[in-house]
Amino acid sequence: MAEEAKKLIQFKNIVKSFEDGQVVLKGVSLDIYENEFVTLLGPSGCGKTTLLRILGGFLQPTEGKVLFDGEDIVNVPPYKREINTVFQKYALFPHMNVYDNIAFGLTIKKEPKDVIEQKVMRMLRLVNLEDYARRNVTEMSGGQQQRIAIARALVNEPSVLLLDEPLGALDLKLRKEMQHELKSIQQEVGITFIFVTHDQEEALTMSDKIVVMNAGEIQQIGTPTEIYRRPVNEFVANFIGETNIIDGVMVEDDLVVFEDKRFPCSARGFDKNEKVDVVIRPEHLDIVPRGQGMLKGVVKSQLFKGMHYDTVVETRAGTSITVKMQVAADKPVTNDEAGEKISASGFLLDVEDAAELSDAKVIALASAEAWVSETEENVSINVEHDIKPETGEYSVTFSTAAGTSITVRALVVTENRVESTVYQEEIYAMNFFKKVEDIQESIALDTDLKMWATASAWSLEDENEKVEITDVRYDFDPETITPGVYDVTFSTEGYEYKVSTTRAAEEGSEVGLIFRPEDIHVMKKGAKR
Amino acid sequence: MKQFRSMTYPYVAWISVMIVVPMLLIVLYAFTESGNDVLTFRFTLDNFARFVTDRVFLAVLWRSLCIALITTVICVLLGYPIAYVIAQLPGRGNTIMILLITMPTWVNMLVRTYAWMGILQDEGVLNGLLSVFGIGPVPMIHTSFAVILGMVYNFIPFMILQIHTSLDKMDKNLLNAAADLGADGLHTFLRVTLPLSLPGVISGITLVFLPAVSSFFIPKLLGGGQYVLVGNVIESQFLTSGDWNFGSAISLIMAVIIMLSMYLTRKADVSVASAGKE
Repeated sequence: MAEEAKKLIQFKNIVKSFEDGQVVLKGVSLDIYENEFVTLLGPSGCGKTTLLRILGGFLQPTEGKVLFDGEDIVNVPPYKREINTVFQKYALFPHMNVYDNIAFGLTIKKEPKDVIEQKVMRMLRLVNLEDYARRNVTEMSGGQQQRIAIARALVNEPSVLLLDEPLGALDLKLRKEMQHELKSIQQEVGITFIFVTHDQEEALTMSDKIVVMNAGEIQQIGTPTEIYRRPVNEFVANFIGETNIIDGVMVEDDLVVFEDKRFPCSARGFDKNEKVDVVIRPEHLDIVPRGQGMLKGVVKSQLFKGMHYDTVVETRAGTSITVKMQVAADKPVTNDEAGEKISASGFLLDVEDAAELSDAKVIALASAEAWVSETEENVSINVEHDIKPETGEYSVTFSTAAGTSITVRALVVTENRVESTVYQEEIYAMNFFKKVEDIQESIALDTDLKMWATASAWSLEDENEKVEITDVRYDFDPETITPGVYDVTFSTEGYEYKVSTTRAAEEGSEVGLIFRPEDIHVMKKGAKR
Repeated sequence: MKQFRSMTYPYVAWISVMIVVPMLLIVLYAFTESGNDVLTFRFTLDNFARFVTDRVFLAVLWRSLCIALITTVICVLLGYPIAYVIAQLPGRGNTIMILLITMPTWVNMLVRTYAWMGILQDEGVLNGLLSVFGIGPVPMIHTSFAVILGMVYNFIPFMILQIHTSLDKMDKNLLNAAADLGADGLHTFLRVTLPLSLPGVISGITLVFLPAVSSFFIPKLLGGGQYVLVGNVIESQFLTSGDWNFGSAISLIMAVIIMLSMYLTRKADVSVASAGKE
């Protein structure tokens, strides 16, 4: 239908940059047809609202043309455009009642009183607010104000209605209602609606055509089905609904390899052995017993969602590294005869640092301290140690002149890293010492463990490209931890599949995954993001 | 909150001693004869009768009201465009202009009025300038013109600030909405901007009219000795004639007039605010 209709609005290479040098639109071209419900969809700051404001006449493009019915309207002021807008926060006139708000445009045009009354009453009926004509707009609820704003715009019989995130301020239930209401109003009045939103579900529900935008550029234009089933790049695939994106290679037409397996699919137009992104939607995957699936993996988590389970299946573990955490009690040693106390904790140092080690540095590393029990006055400490610049475990003894002493362990280590050629990444972490109370008092233990072990991971191709450590595993209960040595394992994300299934599966169980060839969608890699 | 109630006692005491008691004293003086003994009061309405039956005093009252009204009207007509232009300026310019408008009020009003005397005198700055062109000297000081000029100059910042505040806090999207619905600049102003800024105009009127109607040193300095307004009459009753009772009565009459005008403006304010309700 859209193809036969005539082009109503044409954006031609619109560029918009602001005084601070920020470029909000980087050459946007878009055709909008008569009677279409078009949605501009994108995250905040993608330029969708700017594009709408340029069409409304509230902003001037830096470059480019806006054609309306074939005529350039860039220099036409807003009040002369056959376009009306429903503003983000409605912008109803607070000093007028509902009737006067809706009649505003008509009275400006000096239409006869009886005509105005007829038209306003018709609009009030359209938006179901017939009984509220004399109410003050400030007394109306959000949903009602919303409908007044729509009526106020529509009463002028524009050929295009612009809606700037009009449902953003409403609660979820009302928003759903208004989605249907808006769609039916659009069908009833039969004009073009241009709707701006960041809510992908809203866009899929209402639109004839969705324009996905990001960073000032159009990513994809298509019907809701096209956008959902055939996203052109990673950004669109991720922005529209949950999805799985897997690295793959196009061996030949209709044959793709991922996870070292060949899968038939329907995709053409790629070079031989071209690297691609493979997209499979969670609802197109299902869980079967291990051995019967096309891929195998371990269930990492499962959440009950009423109609189905949101399940995550890991087919291949990420890069991981295990370090030792030594937990000390850190009780001060008491010497009753001398009336002194001394405390120190074990520590860890690099081979390079072990070569030149002063007593003062050892005291600082161990945070060693001795004091008179009653006065808490500090007492000077002597250090004795056998640390050599070789990896290994050494003992360090701190003592005072009065003979109070404590012995702790020092660990000399080299850098500790693991490289993964599968993921082209490297992960690093250090052994570390902690006190019982540090672990018990931690309110975000995973984050603290990462910090204590200075764990980090990065891409082998570019060291500055950080890889997130998604998994921290340990075999102790932080509440009841006792002094000792524990393993802590840090891992990056492996290959995980989000599966939307009706089958329950236990966490940790091994399962197979199945999908149909037609549900494999292949995208060019590195297409504009 | 109950435990904090006792903290209000000092304020209550302060207000009683500094405001309520003096007010009561004025009322007492207004309704009594002069020369009372300490314990016996002779109540009378003569003070009021004297004011309302004397044509001279009524003329002074009438003149005071006229001068205050003219001052207020000029402040609105001058202040609104200034406030409007300032509100259109982008952030920094806006702040600087408001600072410039308020800056004169940091200097004592009396000093500024003296400065006007220097400017308006026959041998003052303005007439000196005019004589270069062979005009004048034009008599300016000791005229109604000088008094109104002095009042407008002193009181217009209050008007500008009030109007500016109401324009500044207005949602700019309302103007976009008006333009979107087909209203050009003039219609947008008349239908949206002006009605929404009226509360500011009304509080501006209150803030200008009240001090203008009771001002006494501006007419004294710029109007010369023979230019008498109500404020001057009250002042002379207390300081020159020593007739505190009559002075109190006039003060009371003025207080009633002021309260009445405040009531009327408040009523206008409410009816503007609810104009949409009908």
